[in-house]
Amino acid sequence: MFEQVFFSGLALGSIYGLVALGFTVIFKATDVFNFAQGMFVVCGAYLAVTAISILQLPFALAIVFIVVASALLGVLIHMTLIQPLLGRPMLSVIMLTIALSIALRALIEIMFGPQGRSLTTPLPTGVLMLGSVRISYLHLTAALVSWACMAGFGLFFRFTSVGLLMRASADSHEAAVVSGVNVNTMNRLAWAIGSTLAAVGGLFLGQLQIASTELEGIGLLALPAVVIGGMQSIPGAIVGGLLVGIIEQMAATYISPKSSDIVIYVLLLLILMVRPWGLFGQRELGRV
Amino acid sequence: MNTTTYSTATPKLGAWVWLLCWTSALVYLPTLLTERALFGMALSNTQLLNLGLTQINLMLISMLGALSLNYLTGCAGLISIGHAAFFATGAMAAAVFDTQLGWPFPCVLLACAVAGALVGTLAGLPSLRVRGLYFVLSTLAVHYVVTYVFLEYQFKFFDVVGIPYATPRIGDIEINTPVRWYAFLLPLVILVYLGLKASLQSREGLAMRAMRDHELAATSVGVDVRILRLKAFGLSSAIASVAGALFAYYLSNITSEAFNINFAIQFIAMIIIGGMGSLPGSLVGAAIWLLLPSIIAGLSPQSSEDAGFMGKLLVEHRAQLVQLIFSVMVIVFLIFAPSGVAGLGRSLKNRLDAWRQGL
Repeated sequence: MFEQVFFSGLALGSIYGLVALGFTVIFKATDVFNFAQGMFVVCGAYLAVTAISILQLPFALAIVFIVVASALLGVLIHMTLIQPLLGRPMLSVIMLTIALSIALRALIEIMFGPQGRSLTTPLPTGVLMLGSVRISYLHLTAALVSWACMAGFGLFFRFTSVGLLMRASADSHEAAVVSGVNVNTMNRLAWAIGSTLAAVGGLFLGQLQIASTELEGIGLLALPAVVIGGMQSIPGAIVGGLLVGIIEQMAATYISPKSSDIVIYVLLLLILMVRPWGLFGQRELGRV
Repeated sequence: MNTTTYSTATPKLGAWVWLLCWTSALVYLPTLLTERALFGMALSNTQLLNLGLTQINLMLISMLGALSLNYLTGCAGLISIGHAAFFATGAMAAAVFDTQLGWPFPCVLLACAVAGALVGTLAGLPSLRVRGLYFVLSTLAVHYVVTYVFLEYQFKFFDVVGIPYATPRIGDIEINTPVRWYAFLLPLVILVYLGLKASLQSREGLAMRAMRDHELAATSVGVDVRILRLKAFGLSSAIASVAGALFAYYLSNITSEAFNINFAIQFIAMIIIGGMGSLPGSLVGAAIWLLLPSIIAGLSPQSSEDAGFMGKLLVEHRAQLVQLIFSVMVIVFLIFAPSGVAGLGRSLKNRLDAWRQGL
């Protein structure tokens, strides 16, 4: 029983970690606390519905479609909405992303109808028995793809020159500009990566459950994941996502299904009180 | 501390005339909306913009919420995206003291204010330790905690249908018609507005705005930022709590779903549209937010006949369309008019003054 809950939590947590990673990339690069990240997950699910059910593309092409379209969405949002708000107070930017998510939700509900759509992909379904633990292939694929994406982006940031430029411009805008980095392009790239990672999460969540705007709530669990892990930290986002997934499943099984959200948010509150910079983040020091 | 900048000049004749006009308009409004006629001249639903007194009353309740949030966020600089929690606190307190214990209505409202202030001060405690974004998140966490408590409370003592509220009565007068609600709410909103305005002009109000603009500078001139934060939080949440109780009374039945995160977000939208840090702006923002949906809804019967693309959209997806219009409106305000309607009004007035001096 415990192992069962643990593994399904781990699988869900991997998806949260993926979404949270996208969130952190955006936050690090542009200082935008993106409340629309949950809606990017929904967009990913509906892009999958569009590609697979409506356009009936082959699966490989469908994935290319999802990645390209969600990356374009991220770039477009950065160009039209985020850039004009550069240097504005925090609440303006937060509220902009909230309004954006409301607008996206309304648009999706107008285009696809308020009911959810079921999403079927040629990904393997069925159950793998590991001793007494049942693991669905879908969970397993989701976890594996999430881990591959996380590892891929970890390597990308660590070892490629573009990754280096992105880290540099996230560390200090001014210094990067002075060194001749096109910070705007880097920021746009960060938004593209962030929305694409969320969309990949949406592709899996849409199949594990159903593609509907309700997925936003699940996507929003990336927020506590990010804070628990430490907002500026990429490994923190991944660990935070895994933790949130496992805790959520544990609370739903052992306490009550209704309590899963509240347990996570109480944990968030405790972390904020005791260690506001999260498990892996760096302590911010104020200077006068 | 020198307060001359904010002292009110002696009102001139023009000000009195304006006051008279506003008072008579506000007093005449319920008659206009219940008889649906202007000085005996009947008006159609469209001419009245599809508005009724119910919307006006809900608008007045929302004005309380918008005022309290703008006081906290716009004037004290503390961002709260968990303001629905204090509404829920008020509704819960009203359920305990009225539905369960049967206290008289004015006492219940007082108890709600006290409960709101207590919960608000507790919710403000993280502000002693964390700043900025982290604090915003702590208010979000508070929101989830309070709504969970509300949910548990509702299911323990009531059932899934929701918590019922009795018709409020003051003395022998039952507040049971829209007109009576209007007569009760309007003075309350004016009272709260004037109270907050006075509080902003007091020494502490100035200290609070200094804290918002530059925390370190405020601390260095001797403002105790921590106490001030908790005070602002307590006052704001007390008002929000009373508004929440009134909201529950007005609907006469409420479930925990009413106070979801979107409920809190709409108040942020109101103060962004109205103008951050401007009390009159909060009133305007609440008015736009509450009245526009029914105005949009009023458009649909005519346009459904020609059933163009917009007409079909209005009929089939009215809720989504309203959401879309609102969110786009918020985005447009954020990008092009960050100080909201109040800011637009100010710049218009400046231009008018400049033009007058040019004459």
